[in-house]
Amino acid sequence: MIARRTFLQTSAFAAIAAAISARGASAADPLGIALVLPSPLGDVGWSHTLAAGLDPIKAAYGDAVSFTILENIAEGPDADRIMTKAVADGNKVLIAGSFGYQNGAMQIAKRDPSVTVLHASGFMVAPNFSPFAAKYFQGTYLLGMAAAAVSKSGKLGSVSAFAIPELITSVNAFTLGAQAVNPDVEVSVVWVNTWFDPAKEQEAAKALIAQGCDVIFSNAQDTPSVIAACEEAGVHAFNLNSSMKKYAPTKYLGCVATDWSPFFKASVDAHLAGNFVGANAFLGVADKVVEVVDWSADIPAEVMTKITEAEAKIADGSFNPFTGPITKADGSEGVAAGVSLTDPEIIAMDWHVKGVATPLPQ
Amino acid sequence: MSGIEFILAGMLAAATPFLLAALGELVVERAGVLNLGLEGMMALGAAIGFIVVYEGGGHVAAFVAAGFAGVGLALIFAGLALGLRANQVAVGLAVGILGQGLSSLVGNSYESLTITGLPKLAFPGLSDLPVVGGMFVQDIVVWLSLVATAAIWAMFRYSRLGLVLRAIGENPTAARAIGYRVIALRLWAVVFGGAMAGFAGAYAATVYTPLWADGMIAGRGWIALALVVFGTWLTGRIFFGALLFGALSLASLVAQTEGWAVPSQLLSSLPYIVTIVVLGIITSNKKLLKLNGVASLGETFGP
Repeated sequence: MIARRTFLQTSAFAAIAAAISARGASAADPLGIALVLPSPLGDVGWSHTLAAGLDPIKAAYGDAVSFTILENIAEGPDADRIMTKAVADGNKVLIAGSFGYQNGAMQIAKRDPSVTVLHASGFMVAPNFSPFAAKYFQGTYLLGMAAAAVSKSGKLGSVSAFAIPELITSVNAFTLGAQAVNPDVEVSVVWVNTWFDPAKEQEAAKALIAQGCDVIFSNAQDTPSVIAACEEAGVHAFNLNSSMKKYAPTKYLGCVATDWSPFFKASVDAHLAGNFVGANAFLGVADKVVEVVDWSADIPAEVMTKITEAEAKIADGSFNPFTGPITKADGSEGVAAGVSLTDPEIIAMDWHVKGVATPLPQ
Repeated sequence: MSGIEFILAGMLAAATPFLLAALGELVVERAGVLNLGLEGMMALGAAIGFIVVYEGGGHVAAFVAAGFAGVGLALIFAGLALGLRANQVAVGLAVGILGQGLSSLVGNSYESLTITGLPKLAFPGLSDLPVVGGMFVQDIVVWLSLVATAAIWAMFRYSRLGLVLRAIGENPTAARAIGYRVIALRLWAVVFGGAMAGFAGAYAATVYTPLWADGMIAGRGWIALALVVFGTWLTGRIFFGALLFGALSLASLVAQTEGWAVPSQLLSSLPYIVTIVVLGIITSNKKLLKLNGVASLGETFGP
């Protein structure tokens, strides 16, 4: 809220300054990059990783780029207004950091072809508009292997935000990875149906632990609520996006980290060179966007060796976690033997694999 | 631990933020004032409380500071709504928004940090019981909030103060005519409500979920407000309402871990649906409402 207010003030000054110096504007003006974030910018979490993805651009271009970071912007008309303002202030690259910004950001892209828009986890594409998403499932598969190896009860849990394909895919890959180490493993999922409610997330983690789950996957939570509760309860936990090891020094299993800088850097390079082409960017281990970091020392060495092998195969493209035979949770065939799901099929996944105990909400 | 044990063990703590805030609001509304700023007072209390613990002040200082933060906002409300006789609904909403804004401001550099909560204290003997034993292992704030519930119930039931508060809420003109200082008493009620909301926020951020994240109160202030109406301004009913809401929100999670074939969206909305249904049933009984309702609630009063 405050960030927005100060932004409006400074941008008002900037507008006056721009009006005064409009005639003096030259090609030497820095390239404005605006990043719009759905949650407060903390030390960890989704917003943090997006903002951190800008650092290499800062390092590479120095004063030739300027950044405007707008945090805690609610999806909806407010976001549309703020994004429009950011572009009107001269920012030529707009990074819209949440799915709900899609329509507003697309309108901006259509209105002004000279603006390059990068939009998180959407599906719309335009010549100057690229949606981007991470192949989290590649990392959660590896952590599934680790989870099955450290679990004593054979029951794993996941606190997940919403039952949307991106999160379902992560849970499925986690389950498949765990089954690769222990075929009898069972995964329970609690869909908390909110992106942001630390108390409810923590309650969900405790409910799973009470049911005997001894590894918890914090699926798309921006705060360390689940990780901290697991450390306190003495069960292993892992999360996505940025490392939360400091919240669980002894029980942290690892982090499916995302590093957006290769993608942001390439997009800004292309924008400056004038050859940016909007495309669906679904990026994973091979693109150096997804990487598992902070592996726990509790993972047995022989499993760790298997994990490293699987990671190398995922990176060079010779292994896809969604390769059949895969059975759906209802017992029907999900993927036929020898067949691998394509990226569009993975993006649209709306069923659970066998081994996920919780029925999927429709 | 079975699902039912988990719910029994956790429901008191889950209910405590609602209960503390609702008890404060009960006293405010009984005195005839409607303060809709609960959410903001809780948020500011949560931020201040968290900061005090994080900076090494300890939980007692955190609750005191959070209480003062709630009182600060309550005084702004009182100045406008009681002093200047502004519309209570509008002022309450404004103070609520102010509190949320202030909480993000002061909490900005503490985003996503964590602290250690409070240890749980077992009630000797009872905590070893099967199934229900978990109910008797709670942190000190839960125990104190139970004491506060009993104290407020007794205050309204037996004390002169309770009678006077109800009188100024029922008919402030008559109360003043027989010599009570209506505005001063209402001010104290609002201050008490602010302190309780601050405590509720501090409990949420330093004990129940010991971390700070902007927006972590996530609508709990509004639930507390609804609970006061749900409980038809009776302490006992508000207590059971808070307990029911806490238990149902845990049950909706347990149902998923047990793999019930109920859509999670329905489970998540269950606490709200049940609250609305019960609210509907209670308010359909006009006699009960008239008996317990506060006649001058939300009306401005002044010489």
